[in-house]
Amino acid sequence: MSTGIASVAEVAEPAVGEVSGTRELLRRFAHHRLALVGSVVLVLLVIACFGAPWIAPAKQGAQDLALGPTSPSWSHLLGTDQLGRDYLSELLYAGRISLAIGFFVALVATTVGTAVGAVAGYVGGVVGEAIMRLTDLFLIVPAIAILAVALKGLGSSPVTIVLVLSGISWTYIARVVRSQVLSLSEKEFIEAARVIGASTPRILVRHMLPNLAGIIAVNISLATASAIIIESTLSFLGFGVQPPRTSWGNMLSQASGLVGTPQVYLLYFPGLFILVTVLCVNFIGDGLRDALDPQGRQL
Amino acid sequence: MLRSPRASAVLAAVAGLLLVASACSSNSSANSSGSETTATAARNGGSIVIGAEQEPDCADWLGTCAGSIWGNYIMQIETVPSAFDTRKVNGKWVPQASDLLAGDPTVATTGGKQTITYKINPKAVWSDGTPISSADFAYTALQVRDGKDIFDKSGYSDIEKVTTPDPKTAVVTMKTPYASWRQLFSNGYGVLPAHILKGKNRDALMKDGYTWSGGPWIIQSWKRGTSVTLVPNDKYWGTKPHLDKVTFQFITDTAAAFQALKSGQVDALYPSPQLDALSQIKAGIPDTKSQVDPVTGNLEAIWLNNAKFPFDSQSVRQALAYSIDRDAITKRLFGVIGVDKAAQSFFTPIIGGFGESAFQKYTLDLDKVKSLMTGDGWAKDSSGYWAKGGKRASFAVETLAGNKRRDLTLQILQAQFKTAGFQMTIHETTPATLFGKTAPNGDFQAGLYTLIDTFPEPLNLSATFKSSAIPSKANGYSGINFDRVNIPGLDPVLDQIDSDVDQTQRVEASKKADQMLADAVPAIPIDDVPNVLLWSTRLGGEISINPSEGPFWNLNEWGLAK
Amino acid sequence: MIAYTVRRILLSAPIVLIASFVLFVAVRATFDPLGKLRQSRDPSVIHRETERLGLNKSVPEQFLLWLKGFLTGDWGVSSRTGGDVRAMILQALWPTLQLIFWGILFAVIIAGLISIYSAVKQYSLADHTMTALSYVGIALPAFWFGLVLIQFLAVMPRQQFGWANPPLYFVGLHSAGQSGFNLDYVRHLVLPVITLTITLVASWSRFGRASMLDALSSEYVRTARAKGVPRRRIILRHAARNSLAPFVTVVALDAALLFGGLVVTEQIYSIPGMGRLFLDSLLTGDVFVLLPWMLVVACAVVVCNLIADVSYAILDPRVRLR
Repeated sequence: MSTGIASVAEVAEPAVGEVSGTRELLRRFAHHRLALVGSVVLVLLVIACFGAPWIAPAKQGAQDLALGPTSPSWSHLLGTDQLGRDYLSELLYAGRISLAIGFFVALVATTVGTAVGAVAGYVGGVVGEAIMRLTDLFLIVPAIAILAVALKGLGSSPVTIVLVLSGISWTYIARVVRSQVLSLSEKEFIEAARVIGASTPRILVRHMLPNLAGIIAVNISLATASAIIIESTLSFLGFGVQPPRTSWGNMLSQASGLVGTPQVYLLYFPGLFILVTVLCVNFIGDGLRDALDPQGRQL
Repeated sequence: MLRSPRASAVLAAVAGLLLVASACSSNSSANSSGSETTATAARNGGSIVIGAEQEPDCADWLGTCAGSIWGNYIMQIETVPSAFDTRKVNGKWVPQASDLLAGDPTVATTGGKQTITYKINPKAVWSDGTPISSADFAYTALQVRDGKDIFDKSGYSDIEKVTTPDPKTAVVTMKTPYASWRQLFSNGYGVLPAHILKGKNRDALMKDGYTWSGGPWIIQSWKRGTSVTLVPNDKYWGTKPHLDKVTFQFITDTAAAFQALKSGQVDALYPSPQLDALSQIKAGIPDTKSQVDPVTGNLEAIWLNNAKFPFDSQSVRQALAYSIDRDAITKRLFGVIGVDKAAQSFFTPIIGGFGESAFQKYTLDLDKVKSLMTGDGWAKDSSGYWAKGGKRASFAVETLAGNKRRDLTLQILQAQFKTAGFQMTIHETTPATLFGKTAPNGDFQAGLYTLIDTFPEPLNLSATFKSSAIPSKANGYSGINFDRVNIPGLDPVLDQIDSDVDQTQRVEASKKADQMLADAVPAIPIDDVPNVLLWSTRLGGEISINPSEGPFWNLNEWGLAK
Repeated sequence: MIAYTVRRILLSAPIVLIASFVLFVAVRATFDPLGKLRQSRDPSVIHRETERLGLNKSVPEQFLLWLKGFLTGDWGVSSRTGGDVRAMILQALWPTLQLIFWGILFAVIIAGLISIYSAVKQYSLADHTMTALSYVGIALPAFWFGLVLIQFLAVMPRQQFGWANPPLYFVGLHSAGQSGFNLDYVRHLVLPVITLTITLVASWSRFGRASMLDALSSEYVRTARAKGVPRRRIILRHAARNSLAPFVTVVALDAALLFGGLVVTEQIYSIPGMGRLFLDSLLTGDVFVLLPWMLVVACAVVVCNLIADVSYAILDPRVRLR
């Protein structure tokens, strides 16, 4: 298939043609209106949650036992919860954990998955196959089941939650990266690099990685979205974030029995926060995909 | 990809819809539930469905798997005869000889040993026609005393022998005097049919339900995960049931259970007083009556390990008791149903007459906290927590998962302790780990769990507070004084409560014990978890809560309103 | 064809075996099989049960013993209820299978219809609405959505209109005393099925739409159109049929995801299926139910994957020749 050794100049550049300049990327991203809106909303949300100690109307956990739960009003924009705490503040403080877990899981899972997938794809052969069979293992038992058992065994601190969730999520990106690396390995510029004696790590990092940027970026957003939802599901079931630490998921668990009562607003708001967050992340993912890979070649 | 403004508009609309909906929260129903039990007459016939929030694991009442109280509520009470019922006499719950017996058993002391003579009602028969005999008493007693997989043998382990002079008389001889003897052949165990079970594997024959009965009902079917159905026992010698069939449907989800009640899918509910259940009650349920009973046997308390820092000091324990507003906590938890007074004694309300609310003196008093702590050599560190000799007054509270109200209680406690200068963290664990390893080994500083009394006798106190019950090599680590409570002079008082057959003396001793416990503060009682019963106006008959036997204790008197 | 299928089955078997060993070790390490008994006041119970269950043997030995039991149908006794584990799992499978069956049927039909319609009427208002809704659908936490559905479709109508019964039920699969396929059953199914499948419908319809668009703009369709083949035939016979292969694959693969969603759905709607069984067993540390449960589900997922592979091979002959 290869028609000859490419010139040294071409080999030195890690380009296959589509990796454009940053300006071009930003322009394409901004053209995707929803991605723009999503980014703005997400940034605002992140600021509001992580800046909660300064922004939130009430201090974290400021109970007012005599007040109890009250509907949204001007003094408490989203109402108060069962212990009289301002719900908006509690949601913002809880958001720190939900968002942090989401981001870190995405980061760790993508890093590990990319590394493993790239190695498996590039090295190929038996080793590559073996690694992929390993990922098969992770896929046949429902994630929720594995996660619940693992968290029961290892305890449910945010750190273990991130590690356990990452431990499941890396397999998806690994597969995608591997197949991409496999197809890239056939390309001329890689072949050329190999011929001139570039070492494997150099090839992987300098040549492959930029071409994987699109997949990686999109996967980070996908993984964030699914991590946030999975964490909230686990916390809802009782295996995730434990009280007194709050996350949106375990706030929902406390409110699940309130269907049909006037306190049902305690159920709506955490779910809405999750929905909005994940929507924004998905839009950003779409925007990234558009920006980094406008012709949809890699995905 | 979405580039059209239309799509964005649609998305915004959807989000907006949800936000708007949250503003229009559901209206609370105009009809509120009544709160007395003016009994309507019940007619014969008909069937009802009752919502049960927990499905029992198994129906082997004696064995290790029968831990769920709901099994007792919906199957055991209705089918297994007991020697003593728990009934309200002069406003107090007391054990009362049931219709299984032909009168009060006679207690005598012969040769230094306590003997109890039971005379069985000549009319008492099993559902297959075989008369209930002393052989059944003997069988049950020995099953519990000698059985290999019995969870709780207390009382029975002191039985020396059971003799059966005639088929309707059983004589039980105790090795040592046992003042709470009335709980024998009652209190969740009852009397089992020897002619059906003797020589066979009792657990296998009972665990999935059984078709024999010595009570007003027979278990017709148990569809796991779905329902249990009871039908009347024709051979029952007492008041026969009005109803033709009662189905207990398992509905674990609170909202679903209340909806089922509101829509008539179930006719009664006995919800555990979780905050969401109480919200549901407050929102109003039309056409239902309700009863709230603060007199229960469930005491939620903070248990302190008296042998471990920082609770090895009495001053610290007392200071802890002064740092929280227990009335406010109780009011927040149960105020909606009118229960707002904290628990003031380790004698739960169901044990009528014993104890005397000695913990009343512990109200929120930060000055007392200060004087007690500084007097014990503590000083506040830079973060505002008490510290002594470089160690902070910081402790972890062991707790069991799965109880949202308990989670909220812990959060309230944490906040109040913090204000008073104590740093509390929460450590979640399982019952197996907690009661199997952590507590017996003393590897904890504090715990929050419920002490449960199921019978109007002070059965739990010695086991919990006597120094000889501290798990140690001597008792094979089987004692349940997990808190390592060792109060000088308390042991003999507890012994008297256990063994003195004279009721007045026992009550005097109990008041003394209460005071001693309140002075030493080995643990802090917080709230007595009240019971709530809701039933549709379509039901008639004498419907009420029995804190020992559950709300269905007199299911044979329930019926459809005339 | 057969060779292909057999080859795939043989490849899957070792994976399941290894997975079961890993799970065995993990579950045994996490949960104490005698946990419940440690609360017992009878010290000899622990010793007796350790002997009976062979817990003093080495881990590989225990695993082989357990595996042998599993393969011969002896799945042990639950430490929670004392019941036969195999019976419990089989009994729990029935409601779960019903949910899965109706769920997939519903999701495939709705997603299929949406895909075809959206692709054909691209950029119309309907298309944009569907796309917007599918974005929301993918971003929803399904359990929250289920609870909101209960509030809006069952509880609120009943309250507002003063009906005796809510229009849609949300406890179990049948009302007390009812059984069989009737209106009562359908009223019980609607909410759980929607909750279970909302995310799948959303993602499948997006995927299907893209797939249909691809097919509609492909050369053979352009050829057919040039030839004057009627529109409907093009859509259904050519475009839809050719996007079927990837669609079916995605469906079969995602079906495995359903098991995860089942846990929450059964919890919310009080359905006594596999999801509830898992939760009950997990909360009480009932090792004896957890392991067979995981194996059964793993096998089911492997079967789903197999169906995906095989049906792809059937629908796309090019694959078989690899």
